[in-house]
Amino acid sequence: MKNWKLITTPLSKENPITVQVLGICSCLAVTAQLKPAVFMAVSVTVVVVLSNLIISLLRNTIPPRIRIIVQLVVVSMLVILVDQFLKAFFFDVSKQLSVYVSLIITNCIVMGRLEAFAMSNKPGPSVLDGIGNGLGYSVILIILGFVRELFGSGTLWGYPVLSAIGYENNGLMIMPPMALILVGIIIWIQRSKDKELQEK
Amino acid sequence: MKKFSNTYIFIYSTILVAVVAVVLAVVAMSLKPRQEANLLTEKHQMILSTIGDRPEAAEADALYAERITEQTTEAGDTYYLYDNGSIFRLDGNGLWGKIWGYIAFDKEFNVVGAVFDHASETPGLGAEIATDWFAAQFKDNKTIIDNGQIRPIQLVKKANRDASSRYEVDAITGGTMTSNGMNDMLTQCLTEKYADVINQLRNEAPAAESVEDAAQPEEADANVEANN
Repeated sequence: MKNWKLITTPLSKENPITVQVLGICSCLAVTAQLKPAVFMAVSVTVVVVLSNLIISLLRNTIPPRIRIIVQLVVVSMLVILVDQFLKAFFFDVSKQLSVYVSLIITNCIVMGRLEAFAMSNKPGPSVLDGIGNGLGYSVILIILGFVRELFGSGTLWGYPVLSAIGYENNGLMIMPPMALILVGIIIWIQRSKDKELQEK
Repeated sequence: MKKFSNTYIFIYSTILVAVVAVVLAVVAMSLKPRQEANLLTEKHQMILSTIGDRPEAAEADALYAERITEQTTEAGDTYYLYDNGSIFRLDGNGLWGKIWGYIAFDKEFNVVGAVFDHASETPGLGAEIATDWFAAQFKDNKTIIDNGQIRPIQLVKKANRDASSRYEVDAITGGTMTSNGMNDMLTQCLTEKYADVINQLRNEAPAAESVEDAAQPEEADANVEANN
């Protein structure tokens, strides 16, 4: 069950957002509502998994001197594919996500996994690592999207929930700083529970 | 670490880029019709929203085909007719990029509705032109006909604004450059680009001449009904 850990550790001890603190930019920008947060989470997961797979397959042929450029070309290709796909089939979501889909290219989680894992591991484990990190990112995004939409707009996935029972919307929730505060709270909770993460 | 020759690196990167280019080209070409249909639907929704219809994307095209007819000016610009008037596309420049919109009139050229959008104006400032509250100002008893002449609606600072004026709306606080761009756009499109069409449409509507002082739109409506 060694490989199982590849999926579970990014969800907890090596979570890309709460422990490595990567991918914060998009996590602030797209989580004001649940729906774009979910689409962003899925997009990033797809890109991490496929780029991990492709780079892992090519890893022995890639000249080290140009490896970053090769990784960048592969990641850019996948991100453009995701962007084009969203524009064709989920037009309203792609408008909401706007430039943040293209900015997946600069998401440190993607490049980080390629450098740290896919360049030196077989395709199978690389895919699992991609799934794990994608899910680790997704979990945080979906929690943020859920809390921010529920308390910021009183809705979930666009449907009225709290607003139906007369809840007064908290405008701060839909401002980007609130996402940072919420991430901070999640990090705090996680660190207080997990002794290994506490610095001496 | 394995050694790679320069030749290998050149060939490797050339092949890689070529493969990626082919994949992207094929996908972009095959998805293009769908993406263009989406953009067209969005445009239809925008045009319909000026006359108060807000259909879902799935129904927008059918409703558009039913309610709107496209016309072309002599210069080749498209404008739109619906059962009670006309709709014009506006194009201009904001602070950072293009701004555009649609404005709908009834037969006497009182404003029925308007909608604006922008490519890259500043959020919270110039980008406010795309909000409902801004567009709603145009619905508030505005017109573009002043004593028989076309007079474009202008964005004016609140302090200098005559609240009862039918030719002025609130400008955007902190968005002066975008507001100026809006003014240029409204002036250019309504008094130059579409002036001939607007005058022609006014002459076709028999009631138009009799309500030149257009101060009482209720009466104007009554006149149309009487003439019909």
